[in-house]
Amino acid sequence: MQLSDKLKKQSIGWLLISSLIIILLLIPNINILLNLFTDTSENWQHIKKYLLMDYIKNSLILIISTGLLTALIGTLLAWLIAAYEFPGRAFLSWALLLPLAIPPYIGAYTYAGLFSYTGPFQVLLRKRFGLVVNQQYFDFMTMRGAIFIYTIFLFPYVYLLAKSFLAKQSASLVEISCLLGKSATSIFFKVILPVSRGIIVAGASLVMLEVLNDYGVVKYFGIPTFSTAIFKTWFGMGDLTSAVRLAAIAMGVIFILLYLEKLLRGGRQYSYSTSQIRPLKRKKLTGGSKYFATMFSFSIFGLGFIIPVGQLLYWSYLSDGSKWGNLLEYSTGSILTGLLAATLVIIAAIIVANTVRINSGILSNLFARITMLGYSIPGAVIAVGILVFLLQVDQFISWLMQPFAIEINMFLTTSLVMLFFAYLIRFLGIGFNAVNSGYQKIGTKFFEASRTLGKSVTATFFKVDLPMIKPAVLSGFLLVFIEVMKELPLTLILRPFNFNTLATRAFEYAADEMIYRAADLSLILIFCCTIAILLVNQLRKGREDASEN
Amino acid sequence: MKINNLSFKYEKNGDQILNNFQLEVNKQETICFVGPSGSGKSTVLRLIAGLEVPLSGEIFIAGRTVVNDQVFIPPEKRKVGMVFQDYALFPHLNVAENISFGLGKISKIDKSRKVNEMLDLINLNGFANRYPHQLSGGQQQRIALARTLAPNPRLLLLDEPFSNLDESLRDEIRKELKNIIKQIGITTILVSHDQADADFMADRKIFIYS
Amino acid sequence: MKKLLVMIMLGVMVGSFTGGILAAGEVNLYTNRHYDADQKIYEQFTAKTGIKVNVLKGDSDELIERLAREGESSKADLLITADAGRLHRAMVRGLLQSVNSDILTKNVPVNLRDQDNKWFGLTMRGRVIVYAKDRVNPEELSSYQSLTDAKWQDKILVRSSSNIYNQSLLASLISIYGEEWAKNWAAGIVKNMARRPKGNDRAQATAVAAGIGDIAIMNTYYLGKMLNSDNPAEVEVAESVGIYFPSQAEAGTHINISGIGLSKYSPNKANAIKLMEYLSSAEAQSSFANANYEYPVNPEVEPSPLLKSWGEFKTQQINLTELGIYNEQAVRIFNKVGWQ
Repeated sequence: MQLSDKLKKQSIGWLLISSLIIILLLIPNINILLNLFTDTSENWQHIKKYLLMDYIKNSLILIISTGLLTALIGTLLAWLIAAYEFPGRAFLSWALLLPLAIPPYIGAYTYAGLFSYTGPFQVLLRKRFGLVVNQQYFDFMTMRGAIFIYTIFLFPYVYLLAKSFLAKQSASLVEISCLLGKSATSIFFKVILPVSRGIIVAGASLVMLEVLNDYGVVKYFGIPTFSTAIFKTWFGMGDLTSAVRLAAIAMGVIFILLYLEKLLRGGRQYSYSTSQIRPLKRKKLTGGSKYFATMFSFSIFGLGFIIPVGQLLYWSYLSDGSKWGNLLEYSTGSILTGLLAATLVIIAAIIVANTVRINSGILSNLFARITMLGYSIPGAVIAVGILVFLLQVDQFISWLMQPFAIEINMFLTTSLVMLFFAYLIRFLGIGFNAVNSGYQKIGTKFFEASRTLGKSVTATFFKVDLPMIKPAVLSGFLLVFIEVMKELPLTLILRPFNFNTLATRAFEYAADEMIYRAADLSLILIFCCTIAILLVNQLRKGREDASEN
Repeated sequence: MKINNLSFKYEKNGDQILNNFQLEVNKQETICFVGPSGSGKSTVLRLIAGLEVPLSGEIFIAGRTVVNDQVFIPPEKRKVGMVFQDYALFPHLNVAENISFGLGKISKIDKSRKVNEMLDLINLNGFANRYPHQLSGGQQQRIALARTLAPNPRLLLLDEPFSNLDESLRDEIRKELKNIIKQIGITTILVSHDQADADFMADRKIFIYS
Repeated sequence: MKKLLVMIMLGVMVGSFTGGILAAGEVNLYTNRHYDADQKIYEQFTAKTGIKVNVLKGDSDELIERLAREGESSKADLLITADAGRLHRAMVRGLLQSVNSDILTKNVPVNLRDQDNKWFGLTMRGRVIVYAKDRVNPEELSSYQSLTDAKWQDKILVRSSSNIYNQSLLASLISIYGEEWAKNWAAGIVKNMARRPKGNDRAQATAVAAGIGDIAIMNTYYLGKMLNSDNPAEVEVAESVGIYFPSQAEAGTHINISGIGLSKYSPNKANAIKLMEYLSSAEAQSSFANANYEYPVNPEVEPSPLLKSWGEFKTQQINLTELGIYNEQAVRIFNKVGWQ
């Protein structure tokens, strides 16, 4: 089909706006990626000789272990929650998302603090029982510790995606397997895992990217990884080019892993022959398995939320308290930024996702992939690309305004606009994935029915698509909101004067080795995210009830 | 309705589905495409509705060109009604809202009059406030038909209208559907893989093979 | 509810746009120091002069990168970093300009500022040895070099080499003793490490108390912070260790500074110099230094009682510019000897 023919089929406005968004997203990235094509420097040789192997090894161990563990735990919990009825299920269903509210580096500080020599655990043993334990067994700052931290605070990515997928899509498969006399365990391993593999991989790849780009945990634990290397090269050697090269290798590693997975899957894409989507009927667990399900889910929730929050509460009690005025300022700053950024990202994500859905071609495939670009590159590196790009735009604006004697100097780069632009680039992929999964769930038939009933693409979008993908939009909004609330590198580098958020202040205290003072801020941050999760959960439940009755 | 030299290729796998397809349908005539699955009979419906863009060829509806080398009228402007194989009733709208969906900007009173008129036609009075998932398959199909007919299309397309129904209901529903079509006197094209459906419903049968 | 939300959002939008236009009578500061006490000192300055201080906090490297990218159009007037090497790097990249101020040259000793007065130290700290009082006799300790003795095998605790304070320490040793010496020293420390480098400076002192090793290398102010910690267990740890200023018989203890520089394209130059002078003044120095348990640079100002109780010590007499000059070499040496 010719391009002009293609354009006949859909509304051109959507394509234009989407292309604009994609181009805006590409420019800062390209600015950075161009560094790859310059000659290698002497620094690069040095890095290759002394550091690279170690970094690759450590990063691979971290990424693969965390990826596998989050996939396993996330899917298992999703399956328990979606398919079974047991005490506490309703609460756990949303509570298991809460670990996402705790930034991994705060989690790392709390766990290391909990078990350290001066932490409550050892102090209790020493003071009460006169026991001095072998420090070796209480050392949390190890590779295993880091894997634990990442797993326990990031598994909800997999859980969230897998849960809604299983609840909505697996009913007939499970029923048939039951009729064929399969046991619960074999249904999980033989049916559930393979069928939801695509969605698990999607969740796990988010986790892996997050682990790859995280700097806080590995820095504190002293584990040299790619992100350590990137910062060491960039700042220690002042060599951005080599840093970008490292980032590119890291991305390459992720893509190779994902490609290998696809190969293993044999390129199979499971899709459903039936268009009738029935919710899965939950089975009541009895006896021992009932308590096992409750215990297991609760212990994960305890590790991922109750224990770190408890430790933070204890620290907050130890510290002499923060000023309420400041806390209020940081909270409003964080929340408003989060809401506004999430709205912006989701609107853009919806536009791109809608365009991608209507145009099934190479172009839209490309669009879908490009949205993830901002999430794949380390935040600090991408921040430089954004700064350079917006500086150019700023200079262009003041040049444009010159003839009118209007002086607009550095309007973008000294305001919050830059930060919002950065959030858009970084988190569009997250929003897009959520919205797109909503679109995939409803397919194209409702869209087509609406078109034949005389509604244009845009009218159809507002009357049919949007109401139907609302749950997906909401969870996308929620994810982006939480991400923005926790976001650090971009906010630190690109924020305007006198702008503080909960995350930046907490980070500053932690960096000054005053973790106790960070406790109040972290608790508020976690509280806000919890409220957001609760709210979305309520909205969603309300909708489900309405459509069921 | 007239189709000239219609050709179509799927973008994804590049299979040529149609090659120089010709067809003319008279006013108030009911015709049926019969053929095995994958033969492209549904594709013809989608091309007529404007949901696919042909490689080449022309389609005229009621004397107006809806697609040729230069023109492409988008589906929402073709005044072609289509009942989908699995009905595609909007799950977030109730029956009345589904039926009035395509009515455009008219007053509330006119709207509810039209909805009641349609419910009368399909014999489902009293179902206005139900949601699609509360209806049986046969009821869903009739609502889908009412929704399609409400904006007074010039052409009715039915994609495998009986494939999702119980064998026991089939005779009854075929009869009902035929009655409604004749009552309104609308030009209709339907697609089926079942010869018996075609014999019963159609004035004329067209066989399509891959 | 929805309307309210939209209103708030619009408010933020407008706020964020207008926030981009800064009025006169201000000074814009990029700083790597995040202490709450700093904010109070800026407020005092505003009360005194009527000049508003706008603050952008961040990691020093990232702030320098931002300043460099902004170039001529930067709004930043001043840059404060917690390390002389970083200020030197900013200077080398052409981001700072000289300041001719008698007040500053009088208040800041000559080895704690740049030769061309492109940056000035404001507070000072030493990188010292901390030892377990119950296991180590301070007479066994002497210089940085003596830490590589075989008797300290598996006894030394120190954080990762990606930390700037370790980089600056090694840079000072390169400057004084040369690269080869410094490389052997670093290799010797790695050999004597009690464990893989991990955690921050506080964690090293804690590890000494916990018996993982006997001596730790750390900055003076972290000990001050621990002695004043919110956590009683941490105060106990700090009390169980002693502080030792190494190399007193030789080149002196390694010191570093928090310092300030005037940005090359500073739009509010006069205001900026006023703030620099104020921060070096007797009035601001004690609170600015005490905010972080550091030594004031102004010789007229006494350090806090705690710091005084540690006694006076001989400092390395190199110009701190050297820390910047040898930073890259230091990083390479760390990589070569496998100091993680």
